[in-house]
Amino acid sequence: MYKKTVFIKDTNFQGLGQTKELYNKFLEALRKKNLQDKIQIVRVADMGVYSKGFVVRIPDEGILYCNVKIEDLKNIVSKTLVNGQIIKGLQCDRVEKQLRIVLRNCGVIDPESILDYVDCDGYQGLKKVLLDLDPLGVINQIKLSGLRGRGGGGFPTWMKWNFAQKTQADEKYIICNADEGDPGAYMDRSVLEGDPHSVIEGMIIGGYAIGARKGYFYIRAEYPLAIERIQNAINQARDYGLLGQNILGTDFNFDLEIRLGAGAFVCGEETALIASIEGKRGTPSPRPPYPSVKGLWGKPTVINNVETLANIPYILLKGPKFFAKIGTKDSKGTKVFSLTGKVKNSGLIEVPMGITLKDIVYDIGGGLIDNKQLKAIQTGGPSGGVIPAKYIDTPVDYDNLSKLGSIMGSGGMIVIDQTDCVVDIAKFYLKFCVDESCGKCAPCRIGGSQMLDILINITEGRGKLEDIDKLKRISTAMQKASLCGLGQTAPNPVISTLTYFFDEYKEHIENKKCPAHKCQELLDYKVIEEKCKRCGGCVRVCPTGAISGNREDGYKIDLVKCIKCGKCFEVCRFAAISKE
Amino acid sequence: MKKITKQLLESAGGKAGDSKKDWIKVGMSTCGIAAGAQKVYDILTQEIKRRGLDIEVKKTGCLGACYVEPLVEVCLKGVPRVVYGNVDEKTAMGIIDKHICSKRIMNDHVILR
Repeated sequence: MYKKTVFIKDTNFQGLGQTKELYNKFLEALRKKNLQDKIQIVRVADMGVYSKGFVVRIPDEGILYCNVKIEDLKNIVSKTLVNGQIIKGLQCDRVEKQLRIVLRNCGVIDPESILDYVDCDGYQGLKKVLLDLDPLGVINQIKLSGLRGRGGGGFPTWMKWNFAQKTQADEKYIICNADEGDPGAYMDRSVLEGDPHSVIEGMIIGGYAIGARKGYFYIRAEYPLAIERIQNAINQARDYGLLGQNILGTDFNFDLEIRLGAGAFVCGEETALIASIEGKRGTPSPRPPYPSVKGLWGKPTVINNVETLANIPYILLKGPKFFAKIGTKDSKGTKVFSLTGKVKNSGLIEVPMGITLKDIVYDIGGGLIDNKQLKAIQTGGPSGGVIPAKYIDTPVDYDNLSKLGSIMGSGGMIVIDQTDCVVDIAKFYLKFCVDESCGKCAPCRIGGSQMLDILINITEGRGKLEDIDKLKRISTAMQKASLCGLGQTAPNPVISTLTYFFDEYKEHIENKKCPAHKCQELLDYKVIEEKCKRCGGCVRVCPTGAISGNREDGYKIDLVKCIKCGKCFEVCRFAAISKE
Repeated sequence: MKKITKQLLESAGGKAGDSKKDWIKVGMSTCGIAAGAQKVYDILTQEIKRRGLDIEVKKTGCLGACYVEPLVEVCLKGVPRVVYGNVDEKTAMGIIDKHICSKRIMNDHVILR
């Protein structure tokens, strides 16, 4: 058995290509000292440290050496591995950028076992609440923690609870909003699947604080595994007496039920969600009255997002002060993001508020795929906006993101590189909102499709400069007059791309060109004669017979017949087809 | 004993991770299962049963590194705890053969975060 393990990444010494250079040299150095049977060198697939050249990690001592050169290996073996000395010049401090509060148990415990959760301090927050605090005391703790809703709006959680608590009624309800629908976002699904009991505990505590005896999970039917695990967790909690009558021997009664959503995006909006639970058509209604005064079945109702609820047990267990230390002045705690798009390490991350976008994309995300240049970052899904690369040093919190014309949103974060067209992206999000609009109010129903028509015209070469003004006017109308958040925020991606990438819109309209070569209709395909090897591969795949010619004279694309499908571009192995 | 009482909660908590037993955890959320975690889980449990190894295979949630799913975490006495990424059937067998039986960490599959 090996006494020690050393982790290395098998890149070359510039840290770029994949070779076994380092591995072999390291083995050689170990053999010289006759240590090859005592120390194992492991080539890892991902080091978790990026752009620092060659990296060597020794887990036992927690040593991290960066920018290692070939001549350092001898020293690493003789000094560090033999004598335990640390080589100062190579040592690097690795600051852990992630902080897992909401995801504290995800990937750690068995989500189908309540005892696993109890072993990880599960239901301790609830115990503290039921035995030591009155409802106002709980609300005060949440107030001190500074927790704000993680669903998108960022409304202080304690205020919602307080309104519902203060309203007199014979019945009150708490609802967990698990109707996650933003494209590319799956934070809530992962929490429900990985740590269902923490959300349940959060709901029981919330129920106690506002005086509810009944709670509902509103989960979209597209999340079958999440539904299964939540149902299983509810059953277990009931079996163990954590739901039902006289919880933990007190006179508090509370129970939970699941309601399935059919996948309408608008049902994530509070009033539409309530209508859906009541069995009505899922359309929003004007507010006020707010649900915390008059919600489900006309009773005071608190609706919290999955991530918000998963924070609650932790806050009560560790104390609000501990939580309030994390984050920035007005945004406390952490935020879970699903980092996707053109980033190397896409996945679920949880970071303290106030971390910069740069840290997220380059240190946690490992940079962009193929080391392309960053163009922008999209946050907040269809209600958010794009943040151009020049603001990459902005600390992420609710206020900073809205100052930049985007929002925190529920946690989708999409990395956009130079090959993405922002007009196309704005079109994509707007199309999403048009598809998902419930049609109840005119500004959203008509405004959305009018804007979409204009964007389609622009991306297909029929745009006019006055269209920009039209887009802005319709946006303002939608923002002011739409009934719910969906319509009010639907123009956001268009407005923010117009603000930051006006030149790109102009290029589409005036020169009928797409700078990112993304909008098919604006591209002209051409055969580059010097590169063409005259294999005829393009002729065979062209569906309209637009490519003519023969092996002797070369080939030509007839732009009239060409439908711009891009088949010839994909099939050409010599990069002899250009699209401009 | 089914009921969780005040007393039980008082004695519980903070016990995470002091299990004396060796274990393997497979990330089995939608992201993992979509990438093939169920197959990996089945192979690991079958093989461990067949060889009569004293090691527990557990299901767990998403570890966050969705770009290298399926993920398998192995905790074995005397070997640093590691997470393997992009685990397929072949790698799963390798984990049993090399990591668990020979106590050698496999090359090219470890994900450090």
